[in-house]
Amino acid sequence: MKPLFEQDHYEVLEVPRDTGPDGIERAYRLILSTYGEDSLATYSMVRGADSAAIRERVETAYRVLSDAESRRSYDSSLGGGRPSPDVEFDETPEIAMEPPKTSSEPFDDLDEAGDYDGARLRRARLRRGLDLDEIARRTKVSSNYLACLEDERFADLPPRVYVRGFVMAFAACLGLDAVSVAESYMRRYDAERPRQRRRFSRGT
Amino acid sequence: MSADVGRSAIPSAESASPGRAVRRQAIAIPVGGGKGGVGKTFLVANLATALARAGYRVVAADADLEGANLHTCVGVPDPGPSLADFVARRSTDIRELLVDTPIPNLRILAATHGSFGAPQPGQAERVRLMRQLRELDADFVLVDLGAGTHPAVVDYFMIGEAGIVVITPEPTSIENAYSFLRAAFYHRLELAMLSHHVREVVALAMDERNERGIRTPLDLLREVRALDPEEGARFVETMRAFRPRLVVNEARTAEDVKLGFSVRSVCRKFFGIEAEYLGYVNHDEAARRSVRSRRPVVESNPGSDAAIYLERVARKLVAGLGRADPPAEGSS
Repeated sequence: MKPLFEQDHYEVLEVPRDTGPDGIERAYRLILSTYGEDSLATYSMVRGADSAAIRERVETAYRVLSDAESRRSYDSSLGGGRPSPDVEFDETPEIAMEPPKTSSEPFDDLDEAGDYDGARLRRARLRRGLDLDEIARRTKVSSNYLACLEDERFADLPPRVYVRGFVMAFAACLGLDAVSVAESYMRRYDAERPRQRRRFSRGT
Repeated sequence: MSADVGRSAIPSAESASPGRAVRRQAIAIPVGGGKGGVGKTFLVANLATALARAGYRVVAADADLEGANLHTCVGVPDPGPSLADFVARRSTDIRELLVDTPIPNLRILAATHGSFGAPQPGQAERVRLMRQLRELDADFVLVDLGAGTHPAVVDYFMIGEAGIVVITPEPTSIENAYSFLRAAFYHRLELAMLSHHVREVVALAMDERNERGIRTPLDLLREVRALDPEEGARFVETMRAFRPRLVVNEARTAEDVKLGFSVRSVCRKFFGIEAEYLGYVNHDEAARRSVRSRRPVVESNPGSDAAIYLERVARKLVAGLGRADPPAEGSS
């Protein structure tokens, strides 16, 4: 257990020394949000100058480790290549922090069966630590529509063909199999949509 | 590995603890969090129910004589016998005070009491209570702690190594959770240190505004090491053994989900404490409704969002304990 300012760059970012560039990037973002200006996790623990100093320390670690060249020379300066026995970071950032991969491998969604409904899409998104705005940025589908998909507010969505496209984009962004998710989701849509429309027209 | 479906994926009691005939201690899991209203009782009721549904024999104990309501959450409106009988010495054996619930495999020790002037258990009584809880004939004993960081509350967190700290995404909850963790850790430390002199320093550090400027366990460790290297080694040992588990309740956004990782990072960097992020439970109307209907949501509405998250937390808890509980004979 070392105080922050005695930690090496890997310890600062809380990653094992064999972490790949993606992992470094992810850890950096997480740590940065943890020690950011208006972070919920630190406001009562760390104040003003302290938190600026921590961010500075994190930035340095990231600068060194994100560049292959500088990382190599830093690694050799550490020597041994083994983390000091004082640190036992046995877990790498977990599944929940897994960014969407390009493959269609469905992470640990395996523990759920049944249709992809809105709630399940939301669970899959949250598990990856992604906000709707982030998904919107990547898919170019408005976060408003994405929220409608999650809440299954079908009446607020554009025509069916668009909805299907939105679901495909959403699913792909989460690293899910877009076609089967869309198929599953649209089954619910088709069953539910006429009912929502009736409700809608009766209500107005 | 978890290719099974839904709740059946919690390792069943049979697969996880073969040879149950051998007498052994229950795994005790205290659930605290410092702040009131963060969902400690909700979590205890639901984790206990999820474990009971997976076939474990579970006791959920309410250690909150001030605000007892666990019994209501598991559908026992009027439990009758309660912890108050133990405190008032009407009973010396808590086995007599356990009450069945509508949920098979789940019994509770309620904390209801008739008179407002009922005494709080003293330290000796708490120790006796915790020993009896651990010795119950059950697989898991979950203990619902009251709010605050008073020794009467924090003491119960020592009943097991792997207590759960519940937080919600609010500054007040986070702040209180740190105070709670700090208090729990220092309390444990005080008992672990042998030298009178070192214990004095620990006691001093427990005051957050101590004049020595000891703000975190890491500061304290430096002091202790300087005083007595042997105690320093014991300190580090205690630090390593203390592995609180974090659950974020009422998560609504991805930021909220990440909060668990952030708090874990702060514990690591500032306290030198390795916390485990056990999982999160999202904000779900179904959960609110379940409290109103006085039934745990994992039982009344297992398909709901909240129930799915709670089941996942239960699964992770069991998986983690399988590794972290060496004295249990069925180490599968």
